[in-house]
Amino acid sequence: MAHIVTSVLENRPVAQDYYELRLAWPSWAPAPQPGQFLTVRTVDGPVPLLRRPFAFSGFDRADSSARIIYQRRGHATTLMSAKRPFDPFDILAPLGNGFPDPSSGRRPILIAGGIGMGPMLFLAERLAQTPYPGILIIGARSAQYLPRVVLSHSVQTILCTDDGSAGRKGSAVDIAREEIRQEACAPELYLCGPHGMLAAGHELAEELDAPAWVSMEQTMGCAVGACMGCVVRVHGGEEYARVCTEGPVFDSRTIVWT
Amino acid sequence: MDLSVRIGPGTLPNPVGVASGTFGYGSEYEKLIDLSIIGALYTKAVTPEARPGNATPRIIETAAGMINSIGLANNGLAGFKTAKIPYLRTLPCPAVVNVAGAKGDDYARVIEELADEDCIWGWEVNLSCPNVKTGGLALGTNPAEVEQLTARLRKLSSKPLIIKLTPNVTDITAIARAAEAGGADAVSCINTLVGMVIDTKALRPVLPGKTGGLSGPAIFPVGLAAVYRVAHAIKIPVVGLGGITEADHAVQYLLAGAYAIQIGTANFIDPTVHQKVLDGIREFAALHDLQTISDFHQFID
Ligand SMILES: Cc1cc2nc3c(=O)[nH]c(=O)nc-3n(C[C@H](O)[C@H](O)[C@H](O)COP(=O)(O)O)c2cc1C
Repeated sequence: MAHIVTSVLENRPVAQDYYELRLAWPSWAPAPQPGQFLTVRTVDGPVPLLRRPFAFSGFDRADSSARIIYQRRGHATTLMSAKRPFDPFDILAPLGNGFPDPSSGRRPILIAGGIGMGPMLFLAERLAQTPYPGILIIGARSAQYLPRVVLSHSVQTILCTDDGSAGRKGSAVDIAREEIRQEACAPELYLCGPHGMLAAGHELAEELDAPAWVSMEQTMGCAVGACMGCVVRVHGGEEYARVCTEGPVFDSRTIVWT
Repeated sequence: MDLSVRIGPGTLPNPVGVASGTFGYGSEYEKLIDLSIIGALYTKAVTPEARPGNATPRIIETAAGMINSIGLANNGLAGFKTAKIPYLRTLPCPAVVNVAGAKGDDYARVIEELADEDCIWGWEVNLSCPNVKTGGLALGTNPAEVEQLTARLRKLSSKPLIIKLTPNVTDITAIARAAEAGGADAVSCINTLVGMVIDTKALRPVLPGKTGGLSGPAIFPVGLAAVYRVAHAIKIPVVGLGGITEADHAVQYLLAGAYAIQIGTANFIDPTVHQKVLDGIREFAALHDLQTISDFHQFID
Protein backbone atom coordinates (compact mmCIF):
# COMPACT_ATOMS: atom_id res chain seq x y z
CA MET A 1 0.00 0.00 0.00
CA ALA A 2 1.36 3.41 -0.93
CA HIS A 3 0.31 7.01 -1.47
CA ILE A 4 0.97 7.55 -5.17
CA VAL A 5 0.62 10.90 -6.89
CA THR A 6 0.69 9.96 -10.54
CA SER A 7 -0.98 11.15 -13.73
CA VAL A 8 -3.68 10.19 -16.18
CA LEU A 9 -2.51 8.68 -19.49
CA GLU A 10 -5.89 8.11 -21.09
CA ASN A 11 -9.56 8.34 -20.10
CA ARG A 12 -12.01 6.99 -22.64
CA PRO A 13 -15.62 5.82 -22.76
CA VAL A 14 -15.93 2.03 -23.13
CA ALA A 15 -19.74 1.67 -22.90
CA GLN A 16 -22.75 3.83 -22.08
CA ASP A 17 -21.66 5.82 -18.95
CA TYR A 18 -18.62 3.55 -18.51
CA TYR A 19 -15.05 4.81 -18.80
CA GLU A 20 -11.66 3.22 -18.71
CA LEU A 21 -8.94 5.35 -17.17
CA ARG A 22 -5.29 4.44 -17.70
CA LEU A 23 -2.78 5.90 -15.26
CA ALA A 24 1.00 5.95 -15.14
CA TRP A 25 2.36 3.40 -12.69
CA PRO A 26 5.67 4.37 -11.05
CA SER A 27 8.27 1.62 -11.04
CA TRP A 28 8.74 1.82 -7.26
CA ALA A 29 5.07 1.13 -6.54
CA PRO A 30 3.94 -2.44 -5.78
CA ALA A 31 2.16 -4.10 -8.74
CA PRO A 32 -1.62 -4.40 -8.33
CA GLN A 33 -3.19 -7.88 -8.51
CA PRO A 34 -6.64 -8.74 -9.92
CA GLY A 35 -9.23 -8.01 -7.21
CA GLN A 36 -7.19 -5.27 -5.55
CA PHE A 37 -8.34 -1.66 -5.68
CA LEU A 38 -7.24 1.94 -5.39
CA THR A 39 -8.89 4.98 -3.81
CA VAL A 40 -8.67 8.28 -5.64
CA ARG A 41 -8.99 11.83 -4.40
CA THR A 42 -11.08 13.40 -7.15
CA VAL A 43 -10.61 17.07 -6.16
CA ASP A 44 -8.38 19.20 -3.93
CA GLY A 45 -11.29 20.79 -2.09
CA PRO A 46 -13.87 19.41 0.35
CA VAL A 47 -16.59 18.31 -2.14
CA PRO A 48 -16.61 15.41 -2.86
CA LEU A 49 -14.80 14.77 0.39
CA LEU A 50 -13.88 11.10 0.61
CA ARG A 51 -11.62 9.16 -1.72
CA ARG A 52 -13.51 6.85 -4.05
CA PRO A 53 -12.57 3.17 -4.42
CA PHE A 54 -12.17 1.50 -7.84
CA ALA A 55 -10.96 -2.01 -8.62
CA PHE A 56 -8.08 -2.38 -11.05
CA SER A 57 -9.14 -3.55 -14.49
CA GLY A 58 -5.62 -4.11 -15.75
CA PHE A 59 -1.93 -3.64 -15.19
CA ASP A 60 0.80 -3.49 -17.77
CA ARG A 61 4.33 -3.65 -16.51
CA ALA A 62 5.82 -3.18 -19.97
CA ASP A 63 4.35 0.28 -20.44
CA SER A 64 4.14 1.07 -16.69
CA SER A 65 0.41 1.66 -16.57
CA ALA A 66 -2.61 0.48 -14.60
CA ARG A 67 -6.28 0.73 -15.50
CA ILE A 68 -9.65 1.10 -13.84
CA ILE A 69 -13.16 1.01 -15.29
CA TYR A 70 -15.76 3.23 -13.64
CA GLN A 71 -19.34 4.23 -14.21
CA ARG A 72 -20.26 7.91 -14.31
CA ARG A 73 -23.15 8.24 -11.90
CA GLY A 74 -22.51 10.87 -9.21
CA HIS A 75 -20.51 14.01 -8.58
CA ALA A 76 -17.15 12.29 -8.05
CA THR A 77 -17.33 10.06 -11.13
CA THR A 78 -18.56 12.96 -13.29
CA LEU A 79 -15.44 14.88 -12.24
CA MET A 80 -13.35 11.83 -13.06
CA SER A 81 -14.85 11.52 -16.51
CA ALA A 82 -13.52 15.03 -17.24
CA LYS A 83 -9.91 14.10 -16.47
CA ARG A 84 -7.46 14.45 -19.35
CA PRO A 85 -4.02 13.04 -20.08
CA PHE A 86 -1.33 14.58 -17.79
CA ASP A 87 -3.90 15.53 -15.12
CA PRO A 88 -2.60 14.55 -11.67
CA PHE A 89 -4.12 11.44 -10.12
CA ASP A 90 -3.75 11.06 -6.33
CA ILE A 91 -4.28 7.48 -5.16
CA LEU A 92 -3.76 5.03 -2.33
CA ALA A 93 -2.90 1.64 -3.86
CA PRO A 94 -2.80 -1.26 -4.20
CA LEU A 95 -5.36 -1.96 -1.47
CA GLY A 96 -7.06 -5.13 -0.23
CA ASN A 97 -6.61 -8.77 -1.19
CA GLY A 98 -6.84 -10.07 -4.74
CA PHE A 99 -8.43 -13.24 -6.12
CA PRO A 100 -6.63 -16.49 -5.28
CA ASP A 101 -5.53 -18.90 -8.02
CA PRO A 102 -8.00 -21.65 -8.87
CA SER A 103 -7.54 -24.93 -7.03
CA SER A 104 -5.92 -27.62 -9.14
CA GLY A 105 -8.20 -29.36 -11.60
CA ARG A 106 -10.91 -26.71 -11.38
CA ARG A 107 -12.04 -24.61 -14.33
CA PRO A 108 -12.24 -20.88 -13.48
CA ILE A 109 -15.60 -19.34 -14.39
CA LEU A 110 -15.43 -15.55 -14.22
CA ILE A 111 -18.79 -13.83 -13.86
CA ALA A 112 -19.05 -10.06 -14.23
CA GLY A 113 -22.15 -7.93 -13.86
CA GLY A 114 -22.28 -4.26 -14.86
CA ILE A 115 -19.44 -2.28 -13.35
CA GLY A 116 -18.04 -5.52 -11.91
CA MET A 117 -16.44 -6.11 -15.31
CA GLY A 118 -13.20 -4.29 -14.37
CA PRO A 119 -11.57 -6.80 -12.04
CA MET A 120 -12.93 -9.73 -14.09
CA LEU A 121 -11.22 -8.45 -17.26
CA PHE A 122 -7.98 -8.13 -15.26
CA LEU A 123 -8.33 -11.62 -13.81
CA ALA A 124 -9.23 -13.12 -17.22
CA GLU A 125 -6.12 -11.59 -18.81
CA ARG A 126 -4.00 -12.91 -15.96
CA LEU A 127 -5.45 -16.43 -16.12
CA ALA A 128 -5.06 -16.46 -19.91
CA GLN A 129 -1.30 -16.68 -19.32
CA THR A 130 -1.69 -19.79 -17.16
CA PRO A 131 -2.58 -23.42 -17.92
CA TYR A 132 -6.12 -22.73 -16.55
CA PRO A 133 -7.54 -19.83 -18.61
CA GLY A 134 -11.21 -20.33 -17.83
CA ILE A 135 -14.31 -18.65 -19.25
CA LEU A 136 -15.28 -15.00 -18.85
CA ILE A 137 -18.99 -14.20 -18.78
CA ILE A 138 -19.96 -10.55 -18.90
CA GLY A 139 -23.56 -9.59 -18.23
CA ALA A 140 -25.20 -6.21 -18.70
CA ARG A 141 -28.69 -4.73 -18.78
CA SER A 142 -28.54 -4.18 -22.55
CA ALA A 143 -26.15 -3.85 -25.50
CA GLN A 144 -24.97 -0.30 -24.82
CA TYR A 145 -23.67 -1.27 -21.38
CA LEU A 146 -21.35 -3.98 -22.69
CA PRO A 147 -17.69 -2.90 -22.69
CA ARG A 148 -15.82 -2.21 -25.91
CA VAL A 149 -12.44 -3.40 -24.76
CA VAL A 150 -10.03 -5.62 -26.60
CA LEU A 151 -9.14 -8.86 -24.84
CA SER A 152 -6.42 -11.34 -25.77
CA HIS A 153 -7.63 -14.06 -28.12
CA SER A 154 -6.91 -16.63 -25.47
CA VAL A 155 -9.71 -15.33 -23.25
CA GLN A 156 -12.89 -17.25 -23.99
CA THR A 157 -15.62 -14.64 -23.54
CA ILE A 158 -19.40 -14.89 -23.46
CA LEU A 159 -21.47 -11.71 -23.52
CA CYS A 160 -25.06 -11.63 -22.32
CA THR A 161 -27.77 -9.05 -21.70
CA ASP A 162 -30.92 -9.03 -19.60
CA ASP A 163 -32.99 -7.85 -22.59
CA GLY A 164 -31.25 -9.95 -25.24
CA SER A 165 -30.19 -6.87 -27.23
CA ALA A 166 -26.67 -8.31 -27.57
CA GLY A 167 -25.05 -11.64 -26.87
CA ARG A 168 -27.09 -14.29 -25.15
CA LYS A 169 -30.28 -13.37 -23.30
CA GLY A 170 -30.20 -13.96 -19.58
CA SER A 171 -28.29 -13.16 -16.42
CA ALA A 172 -24.58 -13.86 -16.23
CA VAL A 173 -25.12 -16.38 -13.44
CA ASP A 174 -27.76 -18.29 -15.47
CA ILE A 175 -25.44 -18.41 -18.47
CA ALA A 176 -22.66 -19.65 -16.19
CA ARG A 177 -24.94 -22.43 -14.94
CA GLU A 178 -25.62 -23.54 -18.54
CA GLU A 179 -21.95 -23.43 -19.53
CA ILE A 180 -20.84 -25.44 -16.54
CA ARG A 181 -23.51 -28.08 -17.25
CA GLN A 182 -22.47 -28.28 -20.89
CA GLU A 183 -18.76 -28.55 -20.16
CA ALA A 184 -19.36 -30.98 -17.31
CA CYS A 185 -16.36 -29.45 -15.54
CA ALA A 186 -15.53 -28.92 -11.86
CA PRO A 187 -15.74 -25.12 -11.71
CA GLU A 188 -14.35 -22.47 -9.42
CA LEU A 189 -16.41 -19.28 -9.53
CA TYR A 190 -15.10 -15.72 -9.48
CA LEU A 191 -17.69 -12.94 -9.24
CA CYS A 192 -17.84 -9.18 -9.23
CA GLY A 193 -21.02 -7.17 -9.69
CA PRO A 194 -24.23 -6.13 -7.96
CA HIS A 195 -25.05 -7.69 -4.59
CA GLY A 196 -27.95 -9.74 -5.98
CA MET A 197 -25.68 -11.27 -8.62
CA LEU A 198 -23.08 -12.21 -6.01
CA ALA A 199 -25.76 -13.85 -3.88
CA ALA A 200 -27.03 -15.80 -6.92
CA GLY A 201 -23.44 -16.83 -7.68
CA HIS A 202 -23.05 -18.09 -4.14
CA GLU A 203 -26.22 -20.19 -4.52
CA LEU A 204 -24.92 -21.64 -7.78
CA ALA A 205 -21.64 -22.52 -6.07
CA GLU A 206 -23.55 -24.26 -3.28
CA GLU A 207 -25.61 -26.21 -5.85
CA LEU A 208 -22.42 -27.37 -7.53
CA ASP A 209 -20.46 -27.77 -4.30
CA ALA A 210 -17.83 -25.51 -5.86
CA PRO A 211 -15.73 -22.71 -4.36
CA ALA A 212 -16.77 -19.15 -5.19
CA TRP A 213 -14.84 -15.93 -4.70
CA VAL A 214 -16.85 -12.73 -4.50
CA SER A 215 -15.67 -9.12 -4.54
CA MET A 216 -17.78 -7.20 -2.00
CA GLU A 217 -18.69 -3.52 -1.92
CA GLN A 218 -19.41 -1.16 0.96
CA THR A 219 -19.17 2.61 1.49
CA MET A 220 -15.60 3.28 2.56
CA GLY A 221 -13.96 5.74 4.89
CA CYS A 222 -10.21 5.29 5.25
CA ALA A 223 -9.79 2.17 3.03
CA VAL A 224 -6.77 1.09 5.08
CA GLY A 225 -8.45 -0.75 7.95
CA ALA A 226 -8.60 2.03 10.53
CA CYS A 227 -12.17 3.33 10.63
CA MET A 228 -14.28 0.12 10.68
CA GLY A 229 -16.67 1.75 8.23
CA CYS A 230 -16.71 -0.61 5.24
CA VAL A 231 -17.72 -3.84 6.96
CA VAL A 232 -19.88 -6.73 5.77
CA ARG A 233 -21.45 -9.43 7.95
CA VAL A 234 -19.56 -12.70 8.00
CA HIS A 235 -19.88 -16.15 9.59
CA GLY A 236 -17.29 -17.30 12.05
CA GLY A 237 -15.65 -15.70 15.06
CA GLU A 238 -16.11 -12.05 14.21
CA GLU A 239 -19.52 -10.66 13.27
CA TYR A 240 -18.13 -8.26 10.66
CA ALA A 241 -15.13 -8.15 8.32
CA ARG A 242 -13.64 -5.05 6.69
CA VAL A 243 -14.02 -4.96 2.90
CA CYS A 244 -10.85 -2.87 2.59
CA THR A 245 -8.61 -5.15 4.64
CA GLU A 246 -10.03 -8.69 4.97
CA GLY A 247 -11.59 -8.24 1.49
CA PRO A 248 -12.67 -7.04 -0.95
CA VAL A 249 -12.44 -10.66 -2.16
CA PHE A 250 -14.12 -13.16 0.15
CA ASP A 251 -14.91 -16.86 -0.01
CA SER A 252 -18.67 -16.67 -0.65
CA ARG A 253 -19.33 -19.13 2.18
CA THR A 254 -18.02 -16.65 4.77
CA ILE A 255 -20.54 -13.95 3.79
CA VAL A 256 -23.91 -13.66 5.56
CA TRP A 257 -26.17 -13.30 2.49
CA THR A 258 -29.31 -11.24 3.06
CA MET B 1 10.22 27.73 18.62
CA ASP B 2 9.23 25.25 21.31
CA LEU B 3 6.38 23.15 19.94
CA SER B 4 5.95 20.97 23.01
CA VAL B 5 2.66 20.93 24.89
CA ARG B 6 2.24 20.32 28.61
CA ILE B 7 -0.92 18.55 29.70
CA GLY B 8 -1.04 17.86 33.45
CA PRO B 9 1.98 15.72 34.31
CA GLY B 10 2.76 14.91 30.66
CA THR B 11 4.39 16.58 27.69
CA LEU B 12 3.57 16.07 24.03
CA PRO B 13 6.38 16.68 21.51
CA ASN B 14 4.17 18.79 19.25
CA PRO B 15 0.54 19.94 19.12
CA VAL B 16 -0.58 17.93 16.06
CA GLY B 17 -2.42 14.76 17.05
CA VAL B 18 -4.62 12.28 15.18
CA ALA B 19 -8.22 11.84 16.35
CA SER B 20 -9.78 8.75 17.86
CA GLY B 21 -11.55 6.41 15.47
CA THR B 22 -9.88 7.83 12.39
CA PHE B 23 -6.41 6.36 12.80
CA GLY B 24 -6.98 2.90 14.28
CA TYR B 25 -4.01 2.10 16.50
CA GLY B 26 -1.37 3.47 14.15
CA SER B 27 -0.34 0.24 12.41
CA GLU B 28 -2.98 0.80 9.72
CA TYR B 29 -1.16 3.96 8.61
CA GLU B 30 2.49 3.09 9.14
CA LYS B 31 3.10 2.46 5.42
CA LEU B 32 1.61 5.83 4.46
CA ILE B 33 2.73 8.22 7.17
CA ASP B 34 5.87 8.81 9.22
CA LEU B 35 4.33 8.18 12.64
CA SER B 36 7.24 9.85 14.44
CA ILE B 37 5.97 13.31 13.44
CA ILE B 38 2.64 12.78 15.21
CA GLY B 39 2.23 14.73 18.45
CA ALA B 40 -0.27 12.26 19.92
CA LEU B 41 -2.12 9.26 18.57
CA TYR B 42 -5.59 8.92 20.08
CA THR B 43 -6.63 5.27 19.66
CA LYS B 44 -9.99 3.93 18.58
CA ALA B 45 -12.30 3.75 21.62
CA VAL B 46 -11.63 0.88 24.03
CA THR B 47 -14.60 -0.58 25.92
CA PRO B 48 -14.37 -3.36 28.54
CA GLU B 49 -16.14 -5.89 26.30
CA ALA B 50 -15.55 -6.41 22.58
CA ARG B 51 -18.14 -4.67 20.41
CA PRO B 52 -18.98 -5.74 16.86
CA GLY B 53 -20.29 -2.27 15.99
CA ASN B 54 -23.46 -1.12 14.25
CA ALA B 55 -25.36 -2.48 11.25
CA THR B 56 -24.37 -1.29 7.77
CA PRO B 57 -24.05 1.05 6.01
CA ARG B 58 -21.99 2.84 8.63
CA ILE B 59 -20.83 5.81 6.58
CA ILE B 60 -22.48 8.34 4.32
CA GLU B 61 -20.89 11.35 2.69
CA THR B 62 -22.61 14.74 3.05
CA ALA B 63 -21.72 18.22 1.77
CA ALA B 64 -18.09 18.74 2.84
CA GLY B 65 -18.51 16.12 5.51
CA MET B 66 -19.43 12.59 6.41
CA ILE B 67 -21.75 10.95 8.89
CA ASN B 68 -20.57 7.81 10.65
CA SER B 69 -22.28 5.27 12.80
CA ILE B 70 -19.49 2.86 13.65
CA GLY B 71 -20.83 2.05 17.10
CA LEU B 72 -17.51 1.87 18.98
CA ALA B 73 -16.49 -1.33 17.18
CA ASN B 74 -13.41 -2.56 19.04
CA ASN B 75 -11.74 -5.70 20.43
CA GLY B 76 -12.50 -4.93 24.07
CA LEU B 77 -9.97 -4.82 26.90
CA ALA B 78 -8.72 -8.38 26.45
CA GLY B 79 -8.29 -7.97 22.71
CA PHE B 80 -6.67 -4.58 23.17
CA LYS B 81 -4.09 -6.07 25.52
CA THR B 82 -3.13 -8.99 23.31
CA ALA B 83 -3.54 -7.47 19.84
CA LYS B 84 -2.84 -3.74 20.24
CA ILE B 85 -0.58 -3.12 23.26
CA PRO B 86 2.45 -4.90 21.74
CA TYR B 87 2.20 -2.60 18.74
CA LEU B 88 1.69 0.54 20.83
CA ARG B 89 4.95 -0.32 22.63
CA THR B 90 6.77 0.17 19.33
CA LEU B 91 5.01 3.41 18.43
CA PRO B 92 7.38 6.37 17.88
CA CYS B 93 4.80 8.86 19.21
CA PRO B 94 2.71 9.18 22.41
CA ALA B 95 -0.40 6.96 22.52
CA VAL B 96 -3.54 8.25 24.22
CA VAL B 97 -6.17 5.59 24.84
CA ASN B 98 -9.71 6.71 24.03
CA VAL B 99 -11.90 5.20 26.76
CA ALA B 100 -15.60 4.44 26.31
CA GLY B 101 -18.39 2.46 27.89
CA ALA B 102 -22.06 2.24 28.72
CA LYS B 103 -21.73 3.34 32.34
CA GLY B 104 -19.22 4.82 34.77
CA ASP B 105 -17.97 1.40 35.86
CA ASP B 106 -16.94 0.59 32.28
CA TYR B 107 -14.75 3.67 32.01
CA ALA B 108 -13.20 2.94 35.40
CA ARG B 109 -12.48 -0.65 34.43
CA VAL B 110 -10.65 0.25 31.25
CA ILE B 111 -8.41 2.77 33.02
CA GLU B 112 -7.84 0.52 36.04
CA GLU B 113 -6.79 -2.44 33.93
CA LEU B 114 -4.49 -0.44 31.68
CA ALA B 115 -3.15 2.00 34.27
CA ASP B 116 0.27 0.34 34.56
CA GLU B 117 0.98 0.13 30.84
CA ASP B 118 4.05 2.28 30.20
CA CYS B 119 3.29 2.61 26.51
CA ILE B 120 0.11 4.55 27.27
CA TRP B 121 0.78 8.28 27.61
CA GLY B 122 -2.68 9.21 28.86
CA TRP B 123 -6.45 8.88 28.58
CA GLU B 124 -9.05 10.57 26.49
CA VAL B 125 -12.43 9.85 28.03
CA ASN B 126 -15.09 9.70 25.35
CA LEU B 127 -18.15 11.20 27.03
CA SER B 128 -19.49 12.17 23.67
CA CYS B 129 -20.13 9.30 21.26
CA PRO B 130 -23.47 9.85 19.53
CA ASN B 131 -23.64 6.31 18.11
CA VAL B 132 -24.43 4.10 21.06
CA LYS B 133 -27.69 3.80 22.97
CA THR B 134 -26.26 4.20 26.45
CA GLY B 135 -23.12 5.84 27.81
CA GLY B 136 -21.12 8.22 25.66
CA LEU B 137 -23.32 11.11 24.79
CA ALA B 138 -25.86 10.29 27.48
CA LEU B 139 -23.19 10.54 30.19
CA GLY B 140 -21.52 13.57 28.69
CA THR B 141 -24.43 15.98 28.65
CA ASN B 142 -25.01 16.29 32.39
CA PRO B 143 -22.47 18.49 34.26
CA ALA B 144 -22.98 16.82 37.64
CA GLU B 145 -22.36 13.36 36.17
CA VAL B 146 -19.34 14.56 34.22
CA GLU B 147 -17.76 16.02 37.34
CA GLN B 148 -18.45 12.90 39.37
CA LEU B 149 -17.09 10.51 36.76
CA THR B 150 -14.03 12.68 36.12
CA ALA B 151 -13.26 12.73 39.85
CA ARG B 152 -13.64 8.95 40.00
CA LEU B 153 -11.34 8.34 37.03
CA ARG B 154 -8.84 10.90 38.32
CA LYS B 155 -8.13 8.67 41.33
CA LEU B 156 -7.36 5.63 39.17
CA SER B 157 -4.33 6.90 37.28
CA SER B 158 -1.72 9.60 37.48
CA LYS B 159 -1.37 9.76 33.68
CA PRO B 160 -2.81 12.80 31.87
CA LEU B 161 -6.62 12.68 31.86
CA ILE B 162 -8.42 14.40 28.97
CA ILE B 163 -12.22 14.59 28.87
CA LYS B 164 -13.63 14.63 25.32
CA LEU B 165 -16.68 16.85 25.04
CA THR B 166 -19.69 16.66 22.80
CA PRO B 167 -20.99 19.70 20.92
CA ASN B 168 -24.51 18.26 21.18
CA VAL B 169 -25.43 20.29 24.28
CA THR B 170 -26.91 23.71 24.97
CA ASP B 171 -23.83 25.02 26.78
CA ILE B 172 -20.55 23.20 26.23
CA THR B 173 -18.74 25.44 28.74
CA ALA B 174 -20.85 24.04 31.59
CA ILE B 175 -19.59 20.52 30.75
CA ALA B 176 -16.02 21.78 30.40
CA ARG B 177 -16.18 23.43 33.84
CA ALA B 178 -17.50 20.20 35.32
CA ALA B 179 -14.56 18.26 33.85
CA GLU B 180 -12.15 20.85 35.27
CA ALA B 181 -13.80 20.71 38.68
CA GLY B 182 -13.55 16.91 38.62
CA GLY B 183 -9.78 17.13 38.19
CA ALA B 184 -9.25 16.65 34.46
CA ASP B 185 -5.88 17.74 33.05
CA ALA B 186 -7.43 18.91 29.78
CA VAL B 187 -10.55 18.71 27.66
CA SER B 188 -10.75 17.92 23.97
CA CYS B 189 -13.55 19.13 21.73
CA ILE B 190 -15.42 18.54 19.60
CA ASN B 191 -16.71 15.07 18.98
CA THR B 192 -19.10 14.65 16.05
CA LEU B 193 -22.40 16.52 15.65
CA VAL B 194 -25.58 14.46 15.48
CA GLY B 195 -26.67 14.33 11.84
CA MET B 196 -29.06 12.47 9.56
CA VAL B 197 -29.73 11.74 5.90
CA ILE B 198 -32.94 10.25 4.48
CA ASP B 199 -33.05 8.20 1.27
CA THR B 200 -36.08 9.68 -0.49
CA LYS B 201 -36.33 6.75 -2.94
CA ALA B 202 -36.33 4.07 -0.28
CA LEU B 203 -38.24 6.31 2.16
CA ARG B 204 -35.98 5.50 5.08
CA PRO B 205 -32.90 6.92 6.80
CA VAL B 206 -29.66 5.90 5.08
CA LEU B 207 -28.11 4.76 8.37
CA PRO B 208 -29.88 1.85 10.09
CA GLY B 209 -29.45 3.72 13.39
CA LYS B 210 -31.20 6.67 11.71
CA THR B 211 -28.73 9.30 13.01
CA GLY B 212 -24.94 9.36 13.17
CA GLY B 213 -22.03 11.71 13.83
CA LEU B 214 -21.12 14.44 11.37
CA SER B 215 -17.42 15.18 10.91
CA GLY B 216 -15.10 16.79 8.38
CA PRO B 217 -14.72 20.30 6.94
CA ALA B 218 -18.43 21.07 7.41
CA ILE B 219 -18.05 21.15 11.21
CA PHE B 220 -14.89 23.26 11.37
CA PRO B 221 -16.55 26.57 12.35
CA VAL B 222 -18.64 24.78 14.99
CA GLY B 223 -15.56 23.18 16.53
CA LEU B 224 -13.66 26.44 16.45
CA ALA B 225 -16.42 28.36 18.23
CA ALA B 226 -16.71 25.59 20.83
CA VAL B 227 -12.97 25.65 21.50
CA TYR B 228 -12.98 29.46 21.71
CA ARG B 229 -15.78 29.45 24.29
CA VAL B 230 -14.37 26.56 26.32
CA ALA B 231 -10.82 27.99 26.34
CA HIS B 232 -12.17 31.19 27.82
CA ALA B 233 -14.21 29.37 30.45
CA ILE B 234 -11.59 27.07 32.02
CA LYS B 235 -7.92 27.19 32.99
CA ILE B 236 -6.82 23.68 31.96
CA PRO B 237 -5.64 23.22 28.37
CA VAL B 238 -8.07 22.61 25.51
CA VAL B 239 -7.32 20.23 22.65
CA GLY B 240 -9.17 21.45 19.56
CA LEU B 241 -10.58 19.34 16.76
CA GLY B 242 -13.30 19.22 14.19
CA GLY B 243 -12.90 19.69 10.45
CA ILE B 244 -9.17 20.38 10.24
CA THR B 245 -7.90 19.71 6.72
CA GLU B 246 -5.12 22.28 6.40
CA ALA B 247 -2.59 24.27 8.43
CA ASP B 248 -4.71 27.41 8.50
CA HIS B 249 -7.49 25.56 10.32
CA ALA B 250 -5.06 24.31 12.95
CA VAL B 251 -3.63 27.80 13.42
CA GLN B 252 -7.17 29.13 13.92
CA TYR B 253 -7.75 26.56 16.69
CA LEU B 254 -4.52 27.62 18.41
CA LEU B 255 -5.43 31.31 18.08
CA ALA B 256 -8.86 30.52 19.57
CA GLY B 257 -7.16 29.19 22.68
CA ALA B 258 -6.28 25.53 22.01
CA TYR B 259 -2.92 24.11 23.15
CA ALA B 260 -3.04 21.19 20.77
CA ILE B 261 -5.19 19.95 17.91
CA GLN B 262 -6.29 16.65 16.41
CA ILE B 263 -6.80 15.71 12.78
CA GLY B 264 -9.68 13.29 12.20
CA THR B 265 -11.56 12.78 8.95
CA ALA B 266 -8.75 14.43 6.96
CA ASN B 267 -6.62 11.34 7.66
CA PHE B 268 -8.86 9.47 5.24
CA ILE B 269 -8.22 11.97 2.49
CA ASP B 270 -4.70 13.31 2.66
CA PRO B 271 -1.80 11.30 4.14
CA THR B 272 0.40 14.40 3.95
CA VAL B 273 -1.88 16.56 6.11
CA HIS B 274 0.11 16.13 9.38
CA GLN B 275 3.35 17.34 7.87
CA LYS B 276 1.58 20.27 6.21
CA VAL B 277 -0.17 21.28 9.44
CA LEU B 278 3.03 20.99 11.47
CA ASP B 279 4.96 23.04 8.90
CA GLY B 280 2.19 25.63 8.78
CA ILE B 281 2.17 26.05 12.55
CA ARG B 282 5.96 26.55 12.52
CA GLU B 283 5.74 29.08 9.69
CA PHE B 284 3.00 31.04 11.43
CA ALA B 285 5.00 31.08 14.66
CA ALA B 286 8.10 32.30 12.84
CA LEU B 287 6.16 35.01 11.04
CA HIS B 288 4.74 36.39 14.30
CA ASP B 289 7.81 35.59 16.40
CA LEU B 290 5.97 33.23 18.74
CA GLN B 291 8.13 31.11 21.08
CA THR B 292 5.60 28.74 22.64
CA ILE B 293 2.09 27.48 21.94
CA SER B 294 0.62 29.78 24.62
CA ASP B 295 1.96 32.75 22.64
CA PHE B 296 -0.75 31.94 20.07
CA HIS B 297 -3.35 32.95 22.65
CA GLN B 298 -2.41 36.63 22.91
CA PHE B 299 -4.27 37.82 19.83
CA ILE B 300 -7.91 37.02 20.41
CA ASP B 301 -9.71 37.96 23.61
C1 LIG C 1 -15.22 6.99 11.45
C2 LIG C 1 -15.07 7.76 12.74
C3 LIG C 1 -14.95 7.07 13.96
C4 LIG C 1 -14.83 7.77 15.16
N1 LIG C 1 -14.67 7.07 16.33
C5 LIG C 1 -14.47 7.75 17.51
C6 LIG C 1 -14.20 7.06 18.72
O1 LIG C 1 -14.12 5.82 18.77
N2 LIG C 1 -14.02 7.80 19.86
C7 LIG C 1 -14.08 9.18 19.85
O2 LIG C 1 -13.91 9.79 20.90
N3 LIG C 1 -14.31 9.85 18.70
C8 LIG C 1 -14.50 9.18 17.53
N4 LIG C 1 -14.71 9.89 16.36
C9 LIG C 1 -14.76 11.36 16.41
C10 LIG C 1 -13.42 11.98 16.02
O3 LIG C 1 -12.40 11.60 16.91
C11 LIG C 1 -13.54 13.52 15.98
O4 LIG C 1 -13.92 13.98 17.26
C12 LIG C 1 -14.54 14.01 14.96
O5 LIG C 1 -14.50 13.22 13.79
C13 LIG C 1 -14.31 15.47 14.57
O6 LIG C 1 -13.06 15.67 13.95
P1 LIG C 1 -12.82 15.71 12.35
O7 LIG C 1 -13.86 16.62 11.78
O8 LIG C 1 -11.42 16.17 12.16
O9 LIG C 1 -13.04 14.31 11.89
C14 LIG C 1 -14.85 9.20 15.16
C15 LIG C 1 -14.97 9.88 13.93
C16 LIG C 1 -15.07 9.19 12.74
C17 LIG C 1 -15.20 9.96 11.45
